[in-house]
Amino acid sequence: MAYEYVQVKTPLVLRLLPVLSIVLFFGAWQLVVDWGIVPSTMLASPIQVFQLFLVKWTEVNPDGGLLSQHIWTSVQEAFIGYLLSLLVGIPLGLAMGWFVVVEGLARPFFEMIRPIPPIAWIPLTIFWFGIGLEGKVFIIFLGGIVPCVINSYVGVRMTNPTLIQMARTYGATDWQIFRQICIPSALPMVFGALQIALALCWTCLVGAELLAADSGLGFLITMGRRLALPDMVLLGMIMVGLTGAVIGVIIDYFEKKLLAGIRR
Amino acid sequence: MVDVANEVQKQVREKRPFTVMTVLKNRWFLYAVSVAAFFLIWDRVAIARVFSSGLPRPYEVVLQLWSMMFDPLAGKSLLGHVWASTQRILIGFAIASLVAVPLGLMMALNRYVNAIVKPLFDLLKPMPPIAWISIAILWFGIGETSKVFIIVIGTFVPCLLNAYNGVRLVEPELYDVIRMLGGNRRNEIIDVCFPAAFPAIFAGLQISLSIAWTCVLAAELVSARSGLGFIIILGMNLSRPAMIVGGMVIIALVAWGMTLLVTGLEKLVCPWKREIEGL
Repeated sequence: MAYEYVQVKTPLVLRLLPVLSIVLFFGAWQLVVDWGIVPSTMLASPIQVFQLFLVKWTEVNPDGGLLSQHIWTSVQEAFIGYLLSLLVGIPLGLAMGWFVVVEGLARPFFEMIRPIPPIAWIPLTIFWFGIGLEGKVFIIFLGGIVPCVINSYVGVRMTNPTLIQMARTYGATDWQIFRQICIPSALPMVFGALQIALALCWTCLVGAELLAADSGLGFLITMGRRLALPDMVLLGMIMVGLTGAVIGVIIDYFEKKLLAGIRR
Repeated sequence: MVDVANEVQKQVREKRPFTVMTVLKNRWFLYAVSVAAFFLIWDRVAIARVFSSGLPRPYEVVLQLWSMMFDPLAGKSLLGHVWASTQRILIGFAIASLVAVPLGLMMALNRYVNAIVKPLFDLLKPMPPIAWISIAILWFGIGETSKVFIIVIGTFVPCLLNAYNGVRLVEPELYDVIRMLGGNRRNEIIDVCFPAAFPAIFAGLQISLSIAWTCVLAAELVSARSGLGFIIILGMNLSRPAMIVGGMVIIALVAWGMTLLVTGLEKLVCPWKREIEGL
């Protein structure tokens, strides 16, 4: 019996529905504002937000910064914090997975810090570092380090024990096993942490900027609220979502590249 | 065979004499050292005033917590504030999970629902829930509604995603089995789909809970008159670091208790979940 090649066609309705749903969403949003169902002090229409988006590239007022400056500040803070959390978290997690002494010393410390959401550190960091770059980087660092440590630790722990026993039989030292077997086998897990850490870092960044900032996308949102300008709040939210998504795509690209090198 | 095994075990045990090194490498000993070192360093750093007056000594924090237990702060004792935060989480969490989980299941089971909801969901997903705080305050004022709204927004995403992926990742062989046993679509959904997706849904609820916790703190930090976030922001405004750190300790304890509770619950309600070794 020969297999027949069946082409599965998506019905036209199924292809149209997503487009329709997006169009309806923006249409309803626009009309709700235009017809005055929701007062314009509470919600701005998509067109207004888009106009503000175009204007904000050249107009400094009323929040004292161009859109590009706000984006740059946020991206800079997020990037430094993210990089620091990777540089500290991944080696720490890997070492915790293999060396008993490191695990014994670092784990209680880690477990005590872990349940505190990074957002809760904000008041204390304002006390310590003021509202400058350091405080925000510290908070983003705290947000990103947790998944890095956990994933690296689990990655090393999930190393195939047969490989370790084999290496022992051949007389490999602890350090050799760690470097040549545990780390390579943990790498896919470690790369999995990159995306998780990024999402957490980005959330923390917005939280930190809502409370302590004088520029940045979170600051744009806060100023919009203080001045009761809903279009500015919405612009800030959309830019946060958009920038986060773009960074996510970039990290995803690197993750795929790195993973392609491992799975030979 | 048993004798041989016992012999080997005995030899192995004899080869590990009780020395200083075995004590030093004992896990529990190291844990104790680590905890002791943590508090000692904290105390030293606080006395040395590395952060000027920004870090209280551990015993000051304990004193502060003790006094907050009995002296009401903004009309509520410490437990009152804990309850205020917990209440918000529970309401928001209940609303979100009651809407998001059925919606996620429907999206996975019905292509038409999926085609309508998925694009909207993908559009709103990348915005961190914390970014919604400002608009929530514009819409609902600084009362309870805006906080519950933030929690609903934050917990909605993982609830829905996990329900959706949970159903989609059910092994196809299970469907084949129930079809071969003469089950119809109804049996497929109720007897295979739901039990198989349940661990994933539950994992989504767990993630939601921790996100809800972050959201409620952020909302309370921005504007509130009660709750744990309010305590730490009050500590900041009054320049009393002991109050901030005390609040953070309570936050950690409550979050830790919640995690324990949910893990226990998970073992109770879905014992068929495969154990994944983790931290």
